[in-house]
Amino acid sequence: MAGMSGQRRMERRWGLLMALPAILGFVIFTAGPMVASLAFSLTDWQVGGTPAFVGLGNYTELAGDELFWTSLGATTYYTLGAVPLVLIVSFAVAMLLNQKVRGLPLWRTIFYLPTLVPAIANVVLWIWIFNPDFGLLNSLLRQAGLPTGQWVYDEAMAVPSLIVMSTWGFGNTMVIFLAGLQGVPRHLYEAVSIDGGGAWRRFWHVTLPMMTPTIFYNLVVGVVGTFQVFNQAYVMTEGGPNNATLFYVYYLFRMAFRESEMGYASALAWVLFMIIVVITFLLFRNARRWVYYEMAGAR
Amino acid sequence: MKRRDLFRMGGLAALGAAGAACGSSGGTGAAGSTQLQFMYWGSTFEKSAIEKMLKAFEQSKPGTTVKPLFTPDEYDVKLNSLIAGGRTPDLGYVPMSMSFRLAEQGNLVNLFPYLDKYPQLAGYLPDAYLWYGQDRLHGVSTANEIELLWYSKTAIAEAGISPPPAEAASAWSWDQLVDNAYKLTVDQNGRHPDESGFDPGQVRQFGVSVSITYAAAWYGFLRGNGADFADEAGRKCLLDTPEAIEVFQNLQDLIYKHRVAPGPGQLAATGDDVPGTNILLKTKRVAMVVDGHWALLDMNESKVDYGIGVLPKYAEPFTTSQVAGASSVFAGSKHVEEAVELFAFHIDPRYVDLYKQGLWMPQEKKYYEDQAAIDSWTRNDAHPPEFRTAVVDYGRDHGVPDLRNRVKNLSAISSDVLTPALQELESGKRPAAEILKAATPKITGMLQGWQHTQEP
Amino acid sequence: MTAVRTPPRRAGRVAPTAGLRGPRRFRKALLYLALAGGAVPTLLPFVWLLRSALMQDTQMFVAPPEWIPSPFQWSNFTEALTAQPFWLYFVNTVIIAVISVVGTVLTCSVAAFSFSRLRWRGRNVAFAVLLSGVMLPYAVTLIPTFVMWQELGALDTFVPLTVPSWFAGAGGGVFNVFLLRQFFLTIPFELDEAAYIDGASPWRVFWTIVMPLSKPAIVVVTIFTFIGTWNDFLGPLLYLNDEEKYTLSLGLASFQSIYLTQWGYLMAASAAVIAPIIALFFFLQRYFIEGVTLTGIKN
Repeated sequence: MAGMSGQRRMERRWGLLMALPAILGFVIFTAGPMVASLAFSLTDWQVGGTPAFVGLGNYTELAGDELFWTSLGATTYYTLGAVPLVLIVSFAVAMLLNQKVRGLPLWRTIFYLPTLVPAIANVVLWIWIFNPDFGLLNSLLRQAGLPTGQWVYDEAMAVPSLIVMSTWGFGNTMVIFLAGLQGVPRHLYEAVSIDGGGAWRRFWHVTLPMMTPTIFYNLVVGVVGTFQVFNQAYVMTEGGPNNATLFYVYYLFRMAFRESEMGYASALAWVLFMIIVVITFLLFRNARRWVYYEMAGAR
Repeated sequence: MKRRDLFRMGGLAALGAAGAACGSSGGTGAAGSTQLQFMYWGSTFEKSAIEKMLKAFEQSKPGTTVKPLFTPDEYDVKLNSLIAGGRTPDLGYVPMSMSFRLAEQGNLVNLFPYLDKYPQLAGYLPDAYLWYGQDRLHGVSTANEIELLWYSKTAIAEAGISPPPAEAASAWSWDQLVDNAYKLTVDQNGRHPDESGFDPGQVRQFGVSVSITYAAAWYGFLRGNGADFADEAGRKCLLDTPEAIEVFQNLQDLIYKHRVAPGPGQLAATGDDVPGTNILLKTKRVAMVVDGHWALLDMNESKVDYGIGVLPKYAEPFTTSQVAGASSVFAGSKHVEEAVELFAFHIDPRYVDLYKQGLWMPQEKKYYEDQAAIDSWTRNDAHPPEFRTAVVDYGRDHGVPDLRNRVKNLSAISSDVLTPALQELESGKRPAAEILKAATPKITGMLQGWQHTQEP
Repeated sequence: MTAVRTPPRRAGRVAPTAGLRGPRRFRKALLYLALAGGAVPTLLPFVWLLRSALMQDTQMFVAPPEWIPSPFQWSNFTEALTAQPFWLYFVNTVIIAVISVVGTVLTCSVAAFSFSRLRWRGRNVAFAVLLSGVMLPYAVTLIPTFVMWQELGALDTFVPLTVPSWFAGAGGGVFNVFLLRQFFLTIPFELDEAAYIDGASPWRVFWTIVMPLSKPAIVVVTIFTFIGTWNDFLGPLLYLNDEEKYTLSLGLASFQSIYLTQWGYLMAASAAVIAPIIALFFFLQRYFIEGVTLTGIKN
């Protein structure tokens, strides 16, 4: 119909126009530095010196770099633990903070507080929690008659300890879920209730499906962000003990700024980039099966 | 140009709102005056001392202004960016891991030619100079800094032992250190490690603390025992020699055999400065701590009842000296002469309060040799009476310069091999010999020789 | 968590009856129990920060830790906040944060509208390319970005810290576009169709239909952007040289140095610095209320 194609034309025109700031932003601020770093990755370049073209030299060197594999392993381990844990905790808390209770603003602020406490204060706290002698964790375990641990000071326990610590950073993910819950249409809940469905059915048949776009978002952002985990290794463990928490981006950062080996660091970065791109692509492809969008097919 | 215009448009809005003006670094000021930029880090304490020094310099050289570029953290990120953009300051601090590299790349001014012109520059301690080749000098360690044995006077008195000696000649042997540490280590029930029922998991006061992962803490011991990090050519790592293994095994034994020193995490500390030696001694978590002389400032600030002793000795009573990173003049400076003058000024105890306050020790030789000069920075409330023998004399006669300013490629060696190995040592899972024998060939593979040294 | 519990089936019915009083009260009690249980670990970091802010350095690190400051070191606050020109830093930070929030919310939502509700060729590819910008570790694009701003003569101004936020796609802003896109996709498309039939432009649909229905998501973006700018350390550190332009996070960092950390000051200043963002969250969380989004649509 003529009318439809008119609307199509309008959508195309407006679509480009409205996406323009974002596209320009990418072209101006992001693309240049990305291309530059890709070019660096083909050179032997120490900041302050002259780059020498080495082709794929950095990439082949990387394959034989023991620490590259160590850091990739530590990061994958951390991601596999932290992402699902944070997703589950923050979803549960969001459900909890979406109930009708007294003092809701206060409860919500309290649950968001750990996200706001500055990293350095947090680190000092966690150093105490993990302290083998007087630490909170071991004191609790001792009282319960359970064996105690060395936590971040033990090679085997360091990554799991940091995963536990990451759970306290659930605030942002939780807030997104909380916002998402407001979009679940109430009439759907009513429909389930009228059919005699209980809370579990409402959750399973309404909340969960209607929340899939938000869950998907948090999953993707969680994976992209966690693969680039940096801070905990940087401020808390410095990659130790014995490289147990040598996270990929921490290793890369050390190469880039301690050693100023920008060529090698760039190669490291682009390998991680490819890994993240592939995983994200797979997530998006898989999303068609489980993420519910309003009339997604029609669009 | 189109892109730029777009920028300017977007930028103008923000500019207007922020009232921000474009900055210019270096160059010539409005009235034809010279402007220098001085880049540094430090606490608010150090910051105010540096600002005062810069003001004094401006007054002493009319027509010259200095813009401080205070960079509290992530110093290497900012400096790398400034270098990549060709926007380096005129002079400033340069982190240890970067200074030699920058010098070799030609980013730092060779100060050697200026030694004749400015006699003050030629009068520093020989180990203060940072050479990157024959007649090629890229800077001076900002301050002299040495390692000492700090102790809590109260803890020593409670144990009824004599305090660590303040003179190198009478320094404790390692065994004496261990013996005394036993007496100073007490668990929650008041038991010592050599008594039955001692609970190593509930230690109230540790006898001694020495960092295993911080090279400056053990390098003096290593050299004192006739060992070294690498051979004379600097191409072969010597950490697997019996002398070196003995030193590291002794350190590990303090924690796991004698149980007089804290293991990883037991002090509620990750690095070397959480919570800090002053607090460890004041709260008597530890009775004796091996730490740098710069802790003096903190000690005085938090009013600790501390004493200073020399380190225990092996064959020789050595301590690590010159622990600080470089101060340098950048090759990009348009006013090298003035920058060199400020360079000499910024480490001159006459203009910088940090010497009298205890954070820094001078680099100029005369401050260790001439009585009046020594008094000028040590005769004050911030410096205890034993400072003269335990620090001034000790550092002058028994200091061995920190390997971090001497071994090429050390920062990569440290992060890739040495630190992980030392962390394993600290964890007590394997004996020193095993760990060091595995690490040594890897380090040898990365060694690139010693840095150049020469008498100015 | 509570929603997952399965109360007696009838409890799910909408109309409360006298017989349901008991279980319902029981359910409420459990709800408060869960909230209180969750509040303990989430309050821990904040309480730790506060108690440290009021302690002397020596008490702060006593083992086992103490919770009540003795004496109360109120001077930590006065001295920390006068040790540096914090008022100036505060004003600078507010300026940067406000400009960034306005720019981000406007341009990101416009872009998200285009990527979710308008059809144009290349849309999904463009979105994927945009999203890839956050998958490369920033450590290797930092120097090229710095050099770019230098070439543009924008160093030592707020421009590098604010202007990119007006181009949605720049840097981490892409996450916001993605987030808003996910929320926009849950709004029924019939609303758009109806408006277009009435002759509305896409802008009108965006402004009068989609935006009002997306308040929770907009609030999330506001909170995240504000907090992100507030705490940003690396940006101000790199781009600002003149201490007159320094921000709060740079001020905080000066209490920590390799030689000396002024713990009491650091903790007190940290507590003071996060107070405004806690207040912001407290006031903005009210938008996470069911009914903001879809009540108007049902009829």
